[in-house]
Amino acid sequence: MLAIYKHLWQVNWAEQWQYRANLIMYLFYWLVSPIVYLAVWTTVATAQGSVNGLTAQDFVAYYMVLLIVNIATSEITIHILGYRIMDGTLSNLLVLPVHPVLTQVLVNNLAFKALQLIALAPIWAVLYVLFQPVLTITLVNVLLAIPALALGFLFSFFIGATITFIAFWTTRVWAIAEFYFAVFQLFAGQFVPLSLLPPVLHNIAEALPFRLVLYFPVQLILGKLTVQESMLNLGLLAVWCVAGYALFSVVWRGGVKKFSAVGA
Amino acid sequence: MQPVQTRNGTSRIARNGPDPIIVDGLSKTYRVTDREGGFGAAVRSFFKRKYRDVKAVQNVSFRIGSGEIVGFLGPNGAGKTTTLKMLSGLLYPTGGSANVLSHTPWERRADYLRSITLVMGQRNRLSWDIPAADSFLLNQAIYRIGDADYKRTFDELNELLELAAIIRKPVRNLSLGERMKCELAAALLHRPQVLFLDEPTIGLDIGAQVRIRSFLKEYNRRSGATILLTSHYMADVTALCERIIIIHHGQLKYDGKLADLSRRIAPYKLIAVRLGDCIDCDLSRYGTVVEVAAEYGADGANGDGGKQLVQVKADEVAAVTARILADLPVSDLTIEDPPIEDVIERAFHE
Repeated sequence: MLAIYKHLWQVNWAEQWQYRANLIMYLFYWLVSPIVYLAVWTTVATAQGSVNGLTAQDFVAYYMVLLIVNIATSEITIHILGYRIMDGTLSNLLVLPVHPVLTQVLVNNLAFKALQLIALAPIWAVLYVLFQPVLTITLVNVLLAIPALALGFLFSFFIGATITFIAFWTTRVWAIAEFYFAVFQLFAGQFVPLSLLPPVLHNIAEALPFRLVLYFPVQLILGKLTVQESMLNLGLLAVWCVAGYALFSVVWRGGVKKFSAVGA
Repeated sequence: MQPVQTRNGTSRIARNGPDPIIVDGLSKTYRVTDREGGFGAAVRSFFKRKYRDVKAVQNVSFRIGSGEIVGFLGPNGAGKTTTLKMLSGLLYPTGGSANVLSHTPWERRADYLRSITLVMGQRNRLSWDIPAADSFLLNQAIYRIGDADYKRTFDELNELLELAAIIRKPVRNLSLGERMKCELAAALLHRPQVLFLDEPTIGLDIGAQVRIRSFLKEYNRRSGATILLTSHYMADVTALCERIIIIHHGQLKYDGKLADLSRRIAPYKLIAVRLGDCIDCDLSRYGTVVEVAAEYGADGANGDGGKQLVQVKADEVAAVTARILADLPVSDLTIEDPPIEDVIERAFHE
């Protein structure tokens, strides 16, 4: 199995370099919203002194770390697989003796992510010089952030793939995916740090898993959590990953059966 | 080999050993939405959808012996591709059963998928942005092919398809014929025992078609693989398939030797005659004068040296030929079988 992933990586890595313009456009897509929120909230915080106890410096640090976490945990399964399900070219993957999503699509996501992170580095450096964030990052937090980001990506991948599988039943999958993404952004801490949400929304965010994908790793990297709190969230994220995988598997099996029923 | 009766009474050619493909009463009905064109119909269908059933494949049965190459023929929409997709595990049937290499195809078990291949003309398995060589290595990993086996198979495919010069170029830079060679190689690296080929020569020029055909024949001879092939090019069928299965409107129309079909459907021969200096020669008294084919390069009129085709019953060919040669100033005469396209076309509608 490792050999499959190794070759898939080589193929996908080589492929991603063919689509540099595509990569840049996606990168801007991921960058624009955090940078806009950074600008807005730092302006507000500077004018008021602080917002609910968060200073302009806090906002700068939050969004600068969010830029990295965002890309590290993002996934693009619907863009890889959505059209293949709709136009039937998924057949080419289904005749292979491996799970196409857990091999080809997963590695495609990872290769794309790796290249995006490389492309982000110089942009992040420029932003660092511009905004001068105060970051106190410890080795323990970095070590804990690695599994947090990996699990965060895995959870996003399972849910993103499951939503993509809706394409087996309806061509309106893009609208559903957009709706999901908006909900995700709100409750993951993309728009605002979750502590600024109204109490009702904050409670919903606490109950949903999305905060574990963005807000938790950001807070972890910024040193806002104790090791115990981090471990608890990591355990919770692992449980959500298992649940996500179960959902992914059930919907995939149903989807392939549907695909096979209506004509691949 | 011996003729065998299938469920629906058609004959087949059986070989010794277990049959790798056994299809029994296979059916597939699609449910499709049905609406008329126009804005009003679109609005109405939003609230109330109409559906209708399309019977793509109906109660089809056949068996294919080990090492056979069988042509699976039918007009567009006959159910050929649907059948191939069911046999390669991509579609669930709505009825009947199939057993391929002792597997139920639509269970899609990994060891089954490792022992078959499906090649759909123009639908690529290869990644466009990288050289085919990289996709081959990926397939080596996916199909768990050992290094020694991979090298042996690749060398063999390279010898048959002359791949070495093209597999280092990105696939998008290859011609259609070159790409099809690479597609075939990618599909065969794991040495499948059963090949489902859906229009493998579609869109290729004559030279490329000939090369793919001779490759398939040689591959079948060397590996003993069983091949079920669809094609609209009769040259593919006549070059490769001793046996054909004809399907039309989802139903099996014929299963047997190609030559037998010819004898049954079109029990006549064509005598192509080129006459010398002859103004009033009338060939119609020897048989039915059919239209002169364009490739003869003449309008068929007597005395201009053009060829005419006379259709006569197969058992009268010798006598009629002798009479023509005795009666008329013949400069050239050949006896031909009826075009296979005509035979198949008649079989579709019989």
